[in-house]
Amino acid sequence: MENFNSPQEIINFAIQSEQEAHDFYIELAGLVKFNELKVILEQFAAEELGHKTKLSKIVVDTEKTGLTAESVLDMKMADYTVDIQTKPDMTYQDLLTIAMKKEKKAFKLYTDLAQKITDQNIKEIFLGLAQEEAKHKLRFEIEYDEYILRDN
Amino acid sequence: MMNLKDILSPFSAWRNLLKEPVTIKDPLTERPGAPRYRGFHKNDIEKCIGCGTCETICENEAIDLVAVANVDTKNGDSGLRPLVDYGRCCWCALCVDVCTTGSLTMSNEYTWVSNDPEDFRYIPGVDKKEWDNNDLGWKKPDYTLIPTERMDMEEMEPSEREGTFLEIVRGYSRAQAEKEADRCTECGLCVATCPAHMDIPGYIRAVREGDMEEGLRLLYETNPLPEICGRVCTHRCEEVCAVGHSGDPLAIRWLKRYIADQVPFEEYKRILGITSIEENGKKVGIIGAGPSGLSAAYYLRIRGFEVTIYEAKSKGGGMTMYGIPKYRLPMNMLESEIGFLEEIGVKFVYETRVGEDISFDEIYKKHDAVFVGIGFEKPYKINIKGEEQKGALQAISFLDDINKGKKVDIGKKVAIVGGGNVAMDAARVARRLGAEVYMLYRRRVEDMPADSEEIHGAYEEGVQIIPQTIPVEIIGEGGKVKSIQYLMAEMVPDEKGGRPKPVPIEGSEQVLEIDTLIGAIGQEADYGFLPQEYLDKIETNRGRMLVDNNNKTTLDKVYAGGDAVNKTADAISAIADGHRAADAIERMLLV
Ligand SMILES: Cc1cc2nc3c(=O)[nH]c(=O)nc-3n(C[C@H](O)[C@H](O)[C@H](O)COP(=O)(O)OP(=O)(O)OC[C@H]3O[C@@H](n4cnc5c(N)ncnc54)[C@H](O)[C@@H]3O)c2cc1C
Ligand code: SF4
Ligand code: SF4
Repeated sequence: MENFNSPQEIINFAIQSEQEAHDFYIELAGLVKFNELKVILEQFAAEELGHKTKLSKIVVDTEKTGLTAESVLDMKMADYTVDIQTKPDMTYQDLLTIAMKKEKKAFKLYTDLAQKITDQNIKEIFLGLAQEEAKHKLRFEIEYDEYILRDN
Repeated sequence: MMNLKDILSPFSAWRNLLKEPVTIKDPLTERPGAPRYRGFHKNDIEKCIGCGTCETICENEAIDLVAVANVDTKNGDSGLRPLVDYGRCCWCALCVDVCTTGSLTMSNEYTWVSNDPEDFRYIPGVDKKEWDNNDLGWKKPDYTLIPTERMDMEEMEPSEREGTFLEIVRGYSRAQAEKEADRCTECGLCVATCPAHMDIPGYIRAVREGDMEEGLRLLYETNPLPEICGRVCTHRCEEVCAVGHSGDPLAIRWLKRYIADQVPFEEYKRILGITSIEENGKKVGIIGAGPSGLSAAYYLRIRGFEVTIYEAKSKGGGMTMYGIPKYRLPMNMLESEIGFLEEIGVKFVYETRVGEDISFDEIYKKHDAVFVGIGFEKPYKINIKGEEQKGALQAISFLDDINKGKKVDIGKKVAIVGGGNVAMDAARVARRLGAEVYMLYRRRVEDMPADSEEIHGAYEEGVQIIPQTIPVEIIGEGGKVKSIQYLMAEMVPDEKGGRPKPVPIEGSEQVLEIDTLIGAIGQEADYGFLPQEYLDKIETNRGRMLVDNNNKTTLDKVYAGGDAVNKTADAISAIADGHRAADAIERMLLV
């Protein structure tokens, strides 16, 4: 995985990951019993496709990718919540937990890769991608904060 | 003894008759009115709430409340503003003296010339006048026509509360209730805010006039559980009470409780005129005997429907029976109110969980309409490591056990996770069991969703609130909870204007030794009773059933209400939902 030869390969890899995330949510949507959760999962899936489209638009042969390494708020919820087993009677709380943990994993993957790479250009692309994932995670954390932790 | 001056002065006054009036001799010099002169009206439109108390007090009917542009009706504001008619006004300033907000004043301007008589009817503060910025004039005086202080409610001393579940609040005496009722201006602003739109000024008047039977009739028009609401209602009406703008708001909830407490249950049927019910032959099935189900049942039954409530537990009342602790709502109050429903012919089928003991399909097919009032029974997990261990409880089941009279061993030290009303109840119950209680809340005390009086009660009873704490792991020993590890949080403002976000501070770990941990972060509905073919037809939004203005769900002939529907999640909203659904079911089946 660390043997990326060109910036384009990295982006392709990221695009592929978004596609996989999309497929994962669609599969979950087929599993859950509750209509609303199916719809929510389909939304999650659609969002992943959106991320994919955004990545596909990146022009890598210029110096800049358009991804910025601005810092994104990290509520760290994905760090201390427990892992959830996927099952038909999953709740909204379960889905949000799965989703934020997934984004956290992707964030970590990109930051780890960035650390191992010396080429400044490629490093920046990885950091930019990591920030994108951090934003996606924050969206789920905020939702969790608002709807699940209403009384907390 | 009369002196000579007294005899002569009436005659010497006559010489003024020949003098030219000063206004004619010197017409151009301004002669300001006395600083506190009662001149023309001014009104601070932003401050005014359109309560109409000025209109009510005016003996000359010189004030009318009218709609004005750019002022909208909202909670606590009728959107109307007073219009003054100087063809009628006698400048007594009673309107200013009584104004609940102090927005209405009078300038000391006293001359105003216009050829158009219509000019002299105007809306102060809206129709701009040159005296609008005049500081002098008459203002609401320091004394007030409406007493600002609420009648004190006697309560059990905090030091006496440990070890007992006796009710804290003692209730008003007749003299106290009447005195408190006297403060109401009958403006009716509260009616719009009450989810059930209870006739609050009406029943307060009944208290004032000592007519408890009329009071009870007014309560039952919109609320068949006044004993419950008179004790635990979230009383949003009091937040908008006009009198609250310059003093304590009316103790609306305690006055409701006073009425309900005065009338013996045996008299209810006679007073409410439910001596015989004409059956209409239609059947309605209700799932859940919580406030929404009970309310729907009452309004349907008195209109002749055959009503059957299916309830999983052995008693009715839902969360008001099994959640709310008895020191806030004694069991006998609930039982009597539910007993009254039984007396008028509502059938209760207890210990029958729909989906287990009877199928939803059977209920659906057997009845002409179904009302679903299943509440929010399933607690959210805290979702951190160690939650499965012995000694990690959920507030809902802890309170349920206590209310059923079970013994729960919580040990000496208890941590509650959460900051809502359920968390407060769990904490205060744990204190009554003698434990040292810590409440871990992610945000600041001022952000807590719990009612301020609950927070106050918790403090009074010695609950220790540790704000800005994020639990990260429950540590155990031999499968039993031993301590909880948490991080301190800093509050990061939300750019979009939402609640500030708690973000854990790196390296701020703390460990609190405990015997029991109680989670109270929120609940959700359990739709496990619905077979897939029905589940597919019931639309929900974030776990709440979607209903229309009639509380009808997306499934044919199925209505719903209470916590599983509304966001306000309190007893009075559930009661209002049940009433609305009953009205709609009647329209659907009978009209
Ligand atoms: C601890 C606590 C304190 C509270 N304090 C207050 C307060 O001070 N003031 C206030 O206004 N509100 C308070 N509330 C909220 C209030 O109790 C609820 O808003 C209200 O009870 C909701 O009414 P409901 O009709 O939706 O159903 P609930 O009261 O939730 O009752 C639902 C009923 O349905 C039954 N049920 C569920 N599923 C099935 C099934 N499949 N088959 C048969 N029966 C079923 C349940 O057993 C239950 O009896 C409190 C709640 C809790 C938990
Ligand atoms: S009494 Fe005061 S607040 Fe109420 S309508 Fe009149 S001016 Fe407005
Ligand atoms: S209780 Fe308050 S808001 Fe309601 S009618 Fe009386 S004065 Fe007005």
